[in-house]
Amino acid sequence: MDADRPTAETPGGAPAPSLQKVWDAPTRLTHWSLVILIALSWWSAENGQMAIHYWSGLTLVGLLAFRIYWGFAGPETARFARFIRGPRAVAGYVRGLFRQGHRAVFGHSPLGALSVIALLLAIGLQAGTGLFASDTSYVSSGPLSHLVDYDMSEAITELHEDFFNVLLGLIGLHLGAILFYLTVKRANLIGPMITGYRRAVDVEGPPHGLAPVSWLRLVIGTGLAAGLVWLLAS
Amino acid sequence: MGVKTILLAAAASACLLAACGPEPEKPAEPAPAPETAAAAPEPAAAGPTGPAAMPPATDLAAFMKARHDNYEMLGANMKVLQDNFRSETPDMAAAGAAAVNVKAFADAMGDWFPAGTGPDSGIESEAKANIWSDRAGFDAAHARMKDEAGKLAAVSDAAGFKAQFPATGLACKNCHDTFREEKP
Repeated sequence: MDADRPTAETPGGAPAPSLQKVWDAPTRLTHWSLVILIALSWWSAENGQMAIHYWSGLTLVGLLAFRIYWGFAGPETARFARFIRGPRAVAGYVRGLFRQGHRAVFGHSPLGALSVIALLLAIGLQAGTGLFASDTSYVSSGPLSHLVDYDMSEAITELHEDFFNVLLGLIGLHLGAILFYLTVKRANLIGPMITGYRRAVDVEGPPHGLAPVSWLRLVIGTGLAAGLVWLLAS
Repeated sequence: MGVKTILLAAAASACLLAACGPEPEKPAEPAPAPETAAAAPEPAAAGPTGPAAMPPATDLAAFMKARHDNYEMLGANMKVLQDNFRSETPDMAAAGAAAVNVKAFADAMGDWFPAGTGPDSGIESEAKANIWSDRAGFDAAHARMKDEAGKLAAVSDAAGFKAQFPATGLACKNCHDTFREEKP
């Protein structure tokens, strides 16, 4: 294994032949944007910066819309149909995790897929309830709060506040899994989510890695997401 | 992949168009019926009301429940105002009635915080102890609320309403920030 160790693992540089591309740039950018905007949304809500909160929340809605679209139109490892597996596959993956000869999956593992779906749903519910929420003083409110009545708006606002703890729990689980792979499995999942590449000897899948998709799809997805945010805000 | 890409583009464009299409037109009701504080306001059908009479503070639980319910009703009035504030064609009859209600709440709420109706009552409440320990500050916040609510109730046109509503909400927030317990 050491013989195959790549000599050049420079992030952003041209990939050495022994590096395999697993995550495309839009998926990585979406991922890290979600991280930054969830943190910003939390900070702005805690500190009463509701104008920032309004726009960070709306941007999250746009990012989610893009990620869902990308789950159908994006490259292989971004596609829901490619990585969402049944309970048997998840159980098989978990059993194989501690066997000899375990190799990292190309893209999301069957277990990791559950985490992806749970996180996307939770962020969706968190941002979605925010669209209808309103503060106690009626100074700030989500862009769709006028579509629900007072009692409903109050209930949704409470859910928006309480459900954040569920989202935090899922994020904790996500980080815990990353730590598990890093320490127990000696697999760094963070690096590939930054650079897009990881060592080809460690993973299954095509040696050259991810095949790119047409830039037109990216343009359409970006347009859809931006259009949705524009519709919501106007 | 060419054909697939085109199909995908078509589907995506259709999605976008569909999303653009059925944008609900708000019912255009200009109804610029000038509503002043002096004129007897016609309560909008099924709209939120003004403050309910408070029971004597001898029954703490009933008193604090009534206070809470009154703030809920105040919130319902503020919701009507905010929805109209956001509308391009605000229903000034509904907004005017709600503004008169808000003024009535603002005028009445000075009597809603007698000693013993805070956290020391042992009854769950969002009223913080500093309402009583910093009474001058609380009274100043209340005076600002009365002032801004009075201005809002005196407004008669949509432009004036839109100019005054944020200041009224900020007067609510000013007091909430200092004297109301955030849910843990």
